[in-house]
Amino acid sequence: MLDPYNLDFKELGFHAGLEVHHQLKSKRKLFCNCPPILEENPENMDYSFYRYFRPVLGEMGDFDPGMLVEFEKGYKVIYLANERNTCTYDMDETPPFFPDLEMMEKGFILAAYFDCTAFAEEIVVNRKQYLDGSITTGFQRTFICARDGWVPVNGKKVRITNVHIEEDAARRVNWEDTSNRTVYYNLDRLGVPLTEIITEYMDVDNPEELLETAKQIGRVLRISKIGRRGSGAARQDVNISIAGGDRVELKGVQDLEKFDIMCRHEVVRQHALIEIKNTMLQRGIKKEDFEHTYVDISQLFDTNEKVYATIFPKMKGLFGIEVQPNKDFGLEIFEKSMLITGIPRKNQFHSDEIEDGALRANSDYPSDVKINHDLYSKICKVLNPKENDAFIVVEGPEKRALHAMKKIVERVKMAIDGVPQETRRFLPNGNSEFLRVIHGKDRIYPDTDTPPIVISLDRIKELTKNIGKKPWEVFDELHEKYGFNHNHVDLLIRDEKLAKFIEYTEQLQLDGNLSYKLLIILPRATRRKDLLLTTEMIDKLASVLSKKIIFKEQVELVLNYLIENPQSTEEEIKEKFDLPEISDEKVEMIIQSKIDKYDLNKIQEFEEYQNLILSKITGEVLKELSYHFEGKMLAEKIRQMIFVKEDG
Amino acid sequence: MSNNGNGEPEGYRGALRERLIKDKIRTWSKVVIKKGDAEYEGLLLPRSQHTDDDYVTLKVDTGYNLGVLIDEEATIKEIGFHKGNYELPHIEVKFKKDLPNVTLLGTGGTVASRLDYRTGAVLPAFTPDELFSAVPELISTVNLTPKTLYQILSENFRPEYWVKTAEAIAKEIESGADGIIIGHGTDTMCVTGCALSFFLRNLPVPVVLVGSQRSSDRPSSDGPRNILYAAQLSGYENFGEVVIAMHGTPSDSYNLIHRATRCRKMHSARRDTFRTLSDIPLGKIDDSGVTWFKDDISPRRPKEDFYLDTKTDSRVGMLYFYPGMNPDMLESMVDLGYHGVVMIGTGLGHVGTDIYPALERCKEEEIPVIMVVEPLFGFAQLRVYETGRDMLARGVIEGENMLPSAAYTKLSWALGHTRNVDEVRAIMLTNIAGEITTREGPRGYMVLQGVEPGIDKMMKNL
Repeated sequence: MLDPYNLDFKELGFHAGLEVHHQLKSKRKLFCNCPPILEENPENMDYSFYRYFRPVLGEMGDFDPGMLVEFEKGYKVIYLANERNTCTYDMDETPPFFPDLEMMEKGFILAAYFDCTAFAEEIVVNRKQYLDGSITTGFQRTFICARDGWVPVNGKKVRITNVHIEEDAARRVNWEDTSNRTVYYNLDRLGVPLTEIITEYMDVDNPEELLETAKQIGRVLRISKIGRRGSGAARQDVNISIAGGDRVELKGVQDLEKFDIMCRHEVVRQHALIEIKNTMLQRGIKKEDFEHTYVDISQLFDTNEKVYATIFPKMKGLFGIEVQPNKDFGLEIFEKSMLITGIPRKNQFHSDEIEDGALRANSDYPSDVKINHDLYSKICKVLNPKENDAFIVVEGPEKRALHAMKKIVERVKMAIDGVPQETRRFLPNGNSEFLRVIHGKDRIYPDTDTPPIVISLDRIKELTKNIGKKPWEVFDELHEKYGFNHNHVDLLIRDEKLAKFIEYTEQLQLDGNLSYKLLIILPRATRRKDLLLTTEMIDKLASVLSKKIIFKEQVELVLNYLIENPQSTEEEIKEKFDLPEISDEKVEMIIQSKIDKYDLNKIQEFEEYQNLILSKITGEVLKELSYHFEGKMLAEKIRQMIFVKEDG
Repeated sequence: MSNNGNGEPEGYRGALRERLIKDKIRTWSKVVIKKGDAEYEGLLLPRSQHTDDDYVTLKVDTGYNLGVLIDEEATIKEIGFHKGNYELPHIEVKFKKDLPNVTLLGTGGTVASRLDYRTGAVLPAFTPDELFSAVPELISTVNLTPKTLYQILSENFRPEYWVKTAEAIAKEIESGADGIIIGHGTDTMCVTGCALSFFLRNLPVPVVLVGSQRSSDRPSSDGPRNILYAAQLSGYENFGEVVIAMHGTPSDSYNLIHRATRCRKMHSARRDTFRTLSDIPLGKIDDSGVTWFKDDISPRRPKEDFYLDTKTDSRVGMLYFYPGMNPDMLESMVDLGYHGVVMIGTGLGHVGTDIYPALERCKEEEIPVIMVVEPLFGFAQLRVYETGRDMLARGVIEGENMLPSAAYTKLSWALGHTRNVDEVRAIMLTNIAGEITTREGPRGYMVLQGVEPGIDKMMKNL
């Protein structure tokens, strides 16, 4: 395995794309009139019901292969629901209501931010099949608003291929035991309006660009005020491939900071699978070498269940290869057979595990099938493997154990093609597990419950003509004017203070940094102290600063006063803080009294000491002047006085 | 999807159609449309009725569909052709000696279905292949022979369709079927079920009506489970009645078996829409088998006792009384030559005194008027109040606790046999197929009437 932290992404031919799912601010769900509110307390669930799902044909007359694998999993899906936020539509007991047109319009506005050129002038609602139970109908209602847009990323354009509006899926409640055939969902999130924004995956060449792409899209959702805020509002799916590998989708990443580790662990996985493929080719292995011959070896085990073994010719040593940190190829195969058939991975064993220091034994999921050297020899006697052969053992109820064996043989056959196209679940440790076969276009067909809705280009033009500045335009402007970096601008966007910032700097003529302090730094600081700082207070501060009633040095003082006296008027502030001007002599006297406390020679000799003392004295004098003096001017005065001393 | 070999732009109309023909653009062509900066590439799909004339529907590379306005500025170019073939895969099914033989007569219920580009909605598909492909478990349950009688929506049924359906059933029974399934749209399933209950005398096999409340073009459809349970019921169980067996709850947990004459659709959309009123269902079926709730179920009768009695009179109408109803509605039925009327009256079965003269006319013209109750549950009892007695005096026949659909089909059937009012009265007041329960226990209003587990908690949270 490659070292995940020493990768040359360019050399490896890394490409990545994003599917950003972001909930939209709305008053209702997309296809019904339920409020889009979540219910966190499991005690508050009012009712439950359960269902099974079957695949249906796509419009072109094909079953989607991904859907057939989903059906194979045989899930029983239990829904927990709450009267106040779910209705018979969410239960799939009544047809959809007319979609929320406002959300449809939001889709077009978003598309304008991305400079999309091709708009859907007539909305066709589509059904996208999901058989995992996450949607009660078995399909998600979704539609394209626009195609062919872009976002700037580190000096280049990353293309946005599609902007969709769709209904969100239900929330899976338990993930602990992926071998369980019963899955649980909370219906509260089902139907909440969501946008899906998809990027062209050839356009992103390394993890940093991927992160920046996600940030740019997130900024648009913030600056446009279309995105819902709060945790869980945004989820990203990431498509990753390297040269010789294939597109693999990693699902449900909420924390963008995890992108880096995710990319690295996926790159090493694909690289390892390619190496395994090459070794298989070198050993002259063909798909036909792997037969669906499952040998019943239950008699060798002390168990009430069945134990089957299958030989994999010429595969010795390959199942033990590390494909992701602390996970061997065998375990990777078992994750898939477990998810599809429900046989836990701990009940699945491969022959490389018998070697001393085998990786599996120390992995997160060591095998529970107890095979010591003695038993190993007995199994070999039954199977009679050749020198270079490997074998796999599965323990479980007859039907499911055979099913698992079948999936294992199929997966090993696929190994000779390298990296299978899969959707995988991202895990907190950076690794990933098989979730499903990648879902294709054949799972999409038109929704017969909702007739097409004409939007017209004129209406789209009308909707999008007044969109504000794009986040990257704002950044360029603020960077140039005030030297702001991305963090500054991001905070202004995230806290929705950009309009205020422009008002303060342009109408009130306040300095950019001062405006930023008022709008971002002070509110965040007071929030940390659990104090209540209202927008009115900040506006009042900005106003008295703008009218030069107070100096910016007095901001903290006035702020504390305002927090204690929220009702005070500008006049009262003026009375309290707009002190009579102090004469130069008085100021100089105070300065002198401070300077005298320090060793003047030392100040003049060492520049660093000088700067330290200078700011210290400035602070002391300001405090004595109740901060009613401009700091910069005061510092200059002090400096002059120190050097006048020197000259004298 | 109609097979369109001549390259016609299917479903397109007006100027756009002319233009597509002129440019030789066919449906299922891969096209590139350019409008200013915008470029759209995709398959040109057939266009549905009731949609705007000036737009084309495209399926783009991701499988999504969208619409584009074709104005003068737009250019369309054909770059390929790929016709979809919306057909479930073929499955070879072998006849198994040890399995019962069941015939599925399709009338338009959707167990499998396909897209219809004419309306953009869903049409039933009913070939054996499609059925077995959608519900493969059927193959190992019974020897199922699907046959298509009609492909119509159930609201388009007419009395002659009940007759044809009954005749088809009789033919299958003669040919040795061990059970019959009728695939039927759910809207009027109960009406057909009632009619069949009166037509099919001494049934030697079960007749199970079944359909789906969620169309079978969706992965969550109730259709597959309903058809599977219907196959088990009709193939293996010992009863000779016409029943409706559909979901008993919103879950895929069990189906209730309703006697057709006591069954009614009670919700426009839910899976568990069907309920037995004023009684409890005959039983339930789930993955562990059948549990019978009632002991008055007719067993399979000897085949030689079976006969068909489909004489019907289609000049029967039904009036739903409401406060303010003008008597001319009933008068006009007499004028138009109706032979019988089912009236749905308020409460115990009342109509306003305004209607009395019209009732008298019915009596004079020997047109039987059967009164059933608007509350659906309980009996018509015209002896309790003076109004009722006034109505009895005017010849109104109390319809006992027949449901409207049972009273309507039964009256059509009775009038098919005799126009003599006294004979009609005698038939109407005799329980023929469970449409009248001679007594009503309290549980008929309480058990399995939508009171589900968890109701206590919901009440607490109110």
